[in-house]
Amino acid sequence: MMKNEDKGWTEFREQCRRQMQRPMEQRIKYGFCRMYKPVLDDAPSRVFDTMAEYRAWCAANLPDYLGFKPGPK
Amino acid sequence: MNRPQFQPEQAREIARAFAAEAVEYVFIGKSAAILMGFPAITQDVDVFPEKSPVNGARIVTALRRVGFEIDAETEDGIRRGKDFVQIKNGPFDLDLVFAPDGIESFAAAKSRSLNLEGFPVASLRDIIASKRASGREKDLLDLPLLERFREEFERMNTPALRSASDIAAGRFPKKES
Repeated sequence: MMKNEDKGWTEFREQCRRQMQRPMEQRIKYGFCRMYKPVLDDAPSRVFDTMAEYRAWCAANLPDYLGFKPGPK
Repeated sequence: MNRPQFQPEQAREIARAFAAEAVEYVFIGKSAAILMGFPAITQDVDVFPEKSPVNGARIVTALRRVGFEIDAETEDGIRRGKDFVQIKNGPFDLDLVFAPDGIESFAAAKSRSLNLEGFPVASLRDIIASKRASGREKDLLDLPLLERFREEFERMNTPALRSASDIAAGRFPKKES
């Protein structure tokens, strides 16, 4: 743990420790939340030959705010 | 496509179905970290399966058993181990990632994986490496959180120390099960 870490990170670490102590059922119950994602959810399935093709499809088709586009280097 | 949330019993069901068909896989991505106790939310389940026709056939059988509708194109993609197969017409959203970025091979990931209450999960270091290598905005945002979670996870799950004779004899600490 960083000595001079922000209080926010200290609290996050405490949250991690609490969550690890919760039963698996609760981790799953509160860890998965499904919301509609435009375009991405509009086909029953997709198959991509390569990860590069998948990344290119995401970059070309998905709204920016979903965060699937390449981030800053 | 309006479906209920992923439920704990569905997680057990898919793990049981994969075990029954002897599917070689590990959970990966944020969903795997959540199984380990990462305090976050995700929307889908990510699985890193071994790429082989036999394993692909087993995956198809297991997924149909738990209610996924696998069409011919998707079945072919799974059997061939195409790099990325996304399935959204089952009881929950599932991504089959046969070639995740940043991980050298399935065998390597499997050898570093954990078994948590019947859920095979990739190591946090592999999950982080994969997200870093993907370079996507949403993955890069997760990295500082995942790094701190990894530190806490490893602190709380320190493997037993091995003596020099244990190392020489190839004895390893028992994994959590």
